[in-house]
Amino acid sequence: MSEEKKNQDSDNDSDLEESDHMDDDDDYYGGYYDNDTGDLDIDKPKKSDDPEYFEYELLEIEDVERFLNEEVEVLHSTLQIQPGLAKMLLLAHGWRKDYIIDRCKKEPDRLLIDSKLMPERKVTEQIFGNSAVCSVCLLKRPHDYFYSLSCGHSFCGECWDEFCQVQIQQGITTGIECMAKDCNILVPEDFLCSVMQKPELRDRYSQLSFSDHVKSHPDLRFCPGANCPIIVRAPVCKAKKVECSRCKTTFCYKCGIEYHAPTDCDVIKKWLTKCADDSETANYISAHTKDCPKCHVCIEKNGGCNHMQCSKCKYDFCWMCLGDWKTHGSEYYECSRYKENPNIANESVHAQAREALKKYLFYFERWENHAKSLQLEEQTLHKITSRIHDKVMNNTGTWIDWQYLLDAAHLLKKCRYTLQYTYPYAYYMEKSARKQLFEYQQAQLEAEVENLSWKVERAEITDRGDLENQMDIAEKRRQTLLKDFLEV
Amino acid sequence: MANIAEARIKREFKEVVKSEEVAKCHIKVELVNDTFTELRGEIAGPPDTPYEGGNFILEIKIPDTYPFNPPKVKFVTKIWHPNISSVTGAICLDILKDQWAAAMTLRTVLLSLQALLAAAEPDDPQDAVVAKQYKENPKIFQDTAKHWTHIFAGDSKVAMITHMLELKQIKKIAISHHS
Ligand SMILES: [Zn+2]
Ligand SMILES: [Zn+2]
Ligand SMILES: [Zn+2]
Ligand SMILES: [Zn+2]
Ligand SMILES: [Zn+2]
Ligand SMILES: [Zn+2]
Repeated sequence: MSEEKKNQDSDNDSDLEESDHMDDDDDYYGGYYDNDTGDLDIDKPKKSDDPEYFEYELLEIEDVERFLNEEVEVLHSTLQIQPGLAKMLLLAHGWRKDYIIDRCKKEPDRLLIDSKLMPERKVTEQIFGNSAVCSVCLLKRPHDYFYSLSCGHSFCGECWDEFCQVQIQQGITTGIECMAKDCNILVPEDFLCSVMQKPELRDRYSQLSFSDHVKSHPDLRFCPGANCPIIVRAPVCKAKKVECSRCKTTFCYKCGIEYHAPTDCDVIKKWLTKCADDSETANYISAHTKDCPKCHVCIEKNGGCNHMQCSKCKYDFCWMCLGDWKTHGSEYYECSRYKENPNIANESVHAQAREALKKYLFYFERWENHAKSLQLEEQTLHKITSRIHDKVMNNTGTWIDWQYLLDAAHLLKKCRYTLQYTYPYAYYMEKSARKQLFEYQQAQLEAEVENLSWKVERAEITDRGDLENQMDIAEKRRQTLLKDFLEV
Repeated sequence: MANIAEARIKREFKEVVKSEEVAKCHIKVELVNDTFTELRGEIAGPPDTPYEGGNFILEIKIPDTYPFNPPKVKFVTKIWHPNISSVTGAICLDILKDQWAAAMTLRTVLLSLQALLAAAEPDDPQDAVVAKQYKENPKIFQDTAKHWTHIFAGDSKVAMITHMLELKQIKKIAISHHS
């Protein structure tokens, strides 16, 4: 990368190029290939046979600005076009340089039209006298008050100014379009700067358009951590774990939510939605609804009366026993007496629903239980840290001597985390030999995680070799499961 | 209210008032208060549609950022139409949302709404129930829309007469019951 050359070239966006960050340059670009630079990624998988291995780099805003400007520069020098135009083309076409270069050579006009940068047909507004009426403010203005984009729709400078301000305040920047009806020609940054009188909104414009550029780039992702400025860059988009060194958020690169191996992005979304939706419904369904014994439609009981009529098939039945209401009458009180349900065949749909709920609760309880355990183990980690601190203060060994305890606690967290996320995976799995294998491996991991947890809680009275052996086994189980079931 | 917004509305107001559509009683705009933030629109149901003969009142609210953002428009008069909520009068029309352009005016909006009454877009519905009926049962849709026009948007004289006729009908039935 030639930093000097770029600084010479950049004329209009020198503020983006200020390189007080020159020092970390090596870290960010060099660190990509040799991962032993940072202390940030002890957990980050490094070997390519690791199922969780993922190549990515964490960038600061300045690094990304520089990276994007390099892309612009390539297009600028290859096609001999204005940097501003190059940037708009890149944004419009997902930063596919080769595609743009190729099309620009074959059909430049079509490319500009498709990119909303050139109109299909340019309008020519007729000039009478030395003034005209602006169709936005409806005021008569001298001709030199008017500005237009490549489409030729002209409006007075005041209207353009106000319009751009309103758009920026509403969060729109790179997508601001011409004010004319049915015209979608985009407003370029330099045009906007020339019509906007107040400079206050320029910063907001830069921030917002930068964010649009990052979002449109296939290799870049904002860290989802709250107010975190870090941007992740990865050469391929996969559902792999990214850990932000700044805010410590770990997330799935592909979908941006909490990392969820071995479950894939769609399934975890489904599961989380279900958990959110069903937290109350689970109780509600069992308490307030039953299936009509005749047509099996789900019926809600909203009153005290036990005589029910199905809204669909009009069948009259008893809420208590689901028997025909006609058979009640005189023998009504028979109904409250416990007896084998004679309508077991009719009840099967209801029983099925109950079974489905039971199944969901089974998985949910375990999912939730592991989440709770993780929180508790976080506390254990803190306790271990402070105990090590005390030991070191009392000259009982050094941090290096006790490091293995911390490693054990960290590994436990990692294993339990994966274990937690095996439950949604299993819940949505079809009954199959593969599911049997999955459940076998899940059970193995479960057992070893609990063994490890037991030993970590008793770390100081556990033999170091024993503990390290257990760590090894648990991690191997985790790796085996991920190798077989994590979609790559 | 922002300068541009108010000045624009004042000028537009003149534009609609003097337009030939007004002369032909097709569209109308009136002030509700003197701040120009709220207006009352009126459109005539287009001929050869179930809305023919009806007059539809619209509530028009002008945002501070007008004309850079669209006016907020809804039907006050109840209407049976796939793109207009039969309950709230909310309208689903692209130019009132993302297809708005600052160079459009109230006149354009009113004329577009009139065009919408003449040509519904059931694939982009505001009222799913109406849209379903429109597609699956056009005859019943036509009748319902006509009936609603008649009841809610009817010329007051016509409405009164029908109302009286209905009353007579009821009385007749009542009398025949007695005898
Ligand atoms: Zn103007
Ligand atoms: Zn234009
Ligand atoms: Zn972060
Ligand atoms: Zn994901
Ligand atoms: Zn039924
Ligand atoms: Zn009963």
